[in-house]
Amino acid sequence: MKNRLLSTALIAVLSAGLLAGCSSGETNQQSGSEPAKTESKELNIYTARNYAVDKKLYENFTKETGIKVNVIEGKAEELIERIKREGQNSPADLFITVDGGVLNNAKVNGILQPVTSATVDQNVPKELRDKDNQWIGLSSRARVIVYSKDRVKPEQLSTYEDLATDKWKGKVLVRSSTSLYNQSLLASLVELNGEQKAEEWAKGIATNLGRAPEGGDRDQAKAIAAGQGDVAIMNTYYFGQMLNSKDAEEVKVAKQLGVFFPNQSTTGTHINVSGAGLVKFSKNKDNAVKMIEFLTGTESQALVSKENFEFPANPKAETPELLKSWGTFKAQQIDFAKLGEHNKKSLEIMNKVGWK
Amino acid sequence: MNASKVIRDVKKNANGWFWISLMGAAVILLPIFSILASLFKPTNENWAHIQEFLLKDYALQTVWLLLGTGIATLIVGTGLAWLVSAYDFIGKRFFRFAFILPLAIPPYIAAYTYSTMFDYTGVVQKTLRDWFGYTLPPDLIDIRSLPGAILIFTLFLFPYVYMITRSFLERQSGAYIENARLLGRSPAAIFFRVVLPMARPAIIGGVSLVLFEAVSDYGVTSYFGVHTITTAIFQTWFGLYDADSAVRLAAFLMAGIVGAFLIERLLRARRRYSASTSKSRPLVQKRLRGLGHAAALLICGLVVAVSFLIPVLQLIAWAWLTYQDVLTAQFIELTFNTLRVALLATAIILVISTTAANVNRVQRNRFTMILTKLLTAGYSIPGAILAIGVLTLFLWLDQQVIAQFGTGQLVLSMTLIMLIVAYVVRFMATGFQAIEAGFEKIGHHYMEASRMLGHGLTKTFFKVDLPLIKGALLTGTVLTFVEIVKELPLALLLRPFNFETLATKTYQYANDEMIQEAAVPALFIIAVSLLAVAVIHRVGERTER
Repeated sequence: MKNRLLSTALIAVLSAGLLAGCSSGETNQQSGSEPAKTESKELNIYTARNYAVDKKLYENFTKETGIKVNVIEGKAEELIERIKREGQNSPADLFITVDGGVLNNAKVNGILQPVTSATVDQNVPKELRDKDNQWIGLSSRARVIVYSKDRVKPEQLSTYEDLATDKWKGKVLVRSSTSLYNQSLLASLVELNGEQKAEEWAKGIATNLGRAPEGGDRDQAKAIAAGQGDVAIMNTYYFGQMLNSKDAEEVKVAKQLGVFFPNQSTTGTHINVSGAGLVKFSKNKDNAVKMIEFLTGTESQALVSKENFEFPANPKAETPELLKSWGTFKAQQIDFAKLGEHNKKSLEIMNKVGWK
Repeated sequence: MNASKVIRDVKKNANGWFWISLMGAAVILLPIFSILASLFKPTNENWAHIQEFLLKDYALQTVWLLLGTGIATLIVGTGLAWLVSAYDFIGKRFFRFAFILPLAIPPYIAAYTYSTMFDYTGVVQKTLRDWFGYTLPPDLIDIRSLPGAILIFTLFLFPYVYMITRSFLERQSGAYIENARLLGRSPAAIFFRVVLPMARPAIIGGVSLVLFEAVSDYGVTSYFGVHTITTAIFQTWFGLYDADSAVRLAAFLMAGIVGAFLIERLLRARRRYSASTSKSRPLVQKRLRGLGHAAALLICGLVVAVSFLIPVLQLIAWAWLTYQDVLTAQFIELTFNTLRVALLATAIILVISTTAANVNRVQRNRFTMILTKLLTAGYSIPGAILAIGVLTLFLWLDQQVIAQFGTGQLVLSMTLIMLIVAYVVRFMATGFQAIEAGFEKIGHHYMEASRMLGHGLTKTFFKVDLPLIKGALLTGTVLTFVEIVKELPLALLLRPFNFETLATKTYQYANDEMIQEAAVPALFIIAVSLLAVAVIHRVGERTER
């Protein structure tokens, strides 16, 4: 009784606010309300990919299908939390983000369901999909070694493991352990080499650093140019962006650097996948699947690759010159779910060995 | 204390003011309590790891960050407030206004701007290299560090201390300072022996806002590699995938900070300055001459340059490179969205915080004091964590709606109301601190006189108190409005579909390390904030005459 009274009072207070603030909300009121069987003309996406090219793709999709796309952009973990708490009433149909570990975390949290579509299965190779098809890979980036063309010969480089040896003391640059990219890289090494080896590796990296970790991926490249180190671990797509930066100085820096794909004769280069997951309580399931089919089609894939310097998930898609110039490479062959499973372990290792 | 006494107390105090502030308090406190409740939940297996590796080192760095930022903003903020209110010099009117401007620049944008300016491809090193053939030793200037973070927070947050302290000094301190001057005290002695103790409530109000902001910041600290409790919270959430432990960590942070300010409040309560004499007149300003004049100009010029002009010019230069790609007609909508939510939320905050500050002043007991401190607690934890609290409340409300009407869809949590309530919960502090400082300043005597002469509480408020706290109200408006325009984490997590603000647009680029592109929306944020500051400054000037 008391509880009821309290809730009624609260609703009254808040509906007063409703009158003041609902003008923008009302356009979205309809979204997600219809059951899946009637033909809805809407699709609701929660995405952690904040790229201009993604918006372009959604517009193309609307043009092609007449389905209106509603988007909330945010950070991956926060969006997962939101979907989780919204529960079966969640209006979200698709959850899109970067990083296999996070995608797996969404799956583990029980907010996804399998995608059944022959087109998708055809578009995206098995290794870039969840094993239950709960998420589908859209594109990937490689976490490579960039090096100073002046001071390092590519022959000196070989593997990630090599960077942790005495040879590179004071010469390695990498950003902080708060970066998911680093956590996933270490998680992949936990999977491939075992926990103990991975810990030794992280310790080696932490002692070989040219400076305490700071800044983002691009800042590591700049630090090579500034002479604070000779080699840096960074993502290919940041390197592509630097080469195409509006700031002439950044282009100059990028041109002093070479890209090396490590572990080619061993376990392969670490890649990070972007993917789309079908939300468990999706109200516009058909449209969501249509969108995944659209996003993995060759045309969309070529556009992402061209504008964002990511590797397309669909092998038939055209890639831009820059990516072609890097040649083909062997990627790590591991289950992305393992990245999520080992993420906690890798964070613990980083904290333990003092990788700030 | 027994139940009947409580009821009697409530009955005695139950006027309209009390109920309005209680209702406002309910909306604000529920999300805060939902976070604090996690203190009592059982811990999971991650907790041991957090305690062993994240807490010790991170707590220590947090203390250093807060100590450094607190002391530095105290010196800069009060020093400048003292300078412009006690002295007269060339360009004073300009500087008096210009010291507010750094507020318009979000600290994380300033952090990106300064560190990029000083890194290898930045304008400083490039100029040295290309024009003088000199390469800076790479470790010489390291902005991305703990001292760098303290510097950024000081440069861009000191206006909190400056504004609140200045509005106190200009209005109130005349008689005391002039007496001290007449009695032959040196300027330094006046500052330390008279100004600082007297302005203590105002200064503490300002500094506490700065500390709130610094402790809950994630943008600057994570980019600079500084490990604070807040970065530990996000490591736990995003790295260990453990939102529950993250909320729990935030609850500790909140409890610690609220506790610290409660203690300060209790200590201060013993020496209350009910300072209002019958005549409180503005300070007569002393004309500066010679060396002192030059020094004042130099300091003021330097502060304005580093805390506003230089970063803005750099942002303009970057925007010039990218505006053709970034700037679209969408910016009109973004600006409109930003203005709309900021204005609405600011208005609500001012109403609630004025009410609460008034209730607190009139009733003055432990209960209202703790209640009002809790009202401002939303500012002490990272926005994203607070967002979880607000989300929880709204989803619960939606559950009730669904249970009542069976619509099967989320209503409230899919509208802007959720975001606006979140803003109110988070930024109650900026409004409240400013207004509370205003009430402290005018003391009780006017109100008591008015009530004695037969005016009711409400009439007294509108006829007597409100005109007296107008300055503080304006300060509160500027601080709150500008904060909301800059705000990111709440907007990111709680917005409805297809809703973007200038801040989320900035994030879209800055998150991808594209500072040149981010410069365009960042400049829009600065412009909107500037406009607000300028308008309110004008209003303030006019009402003072």
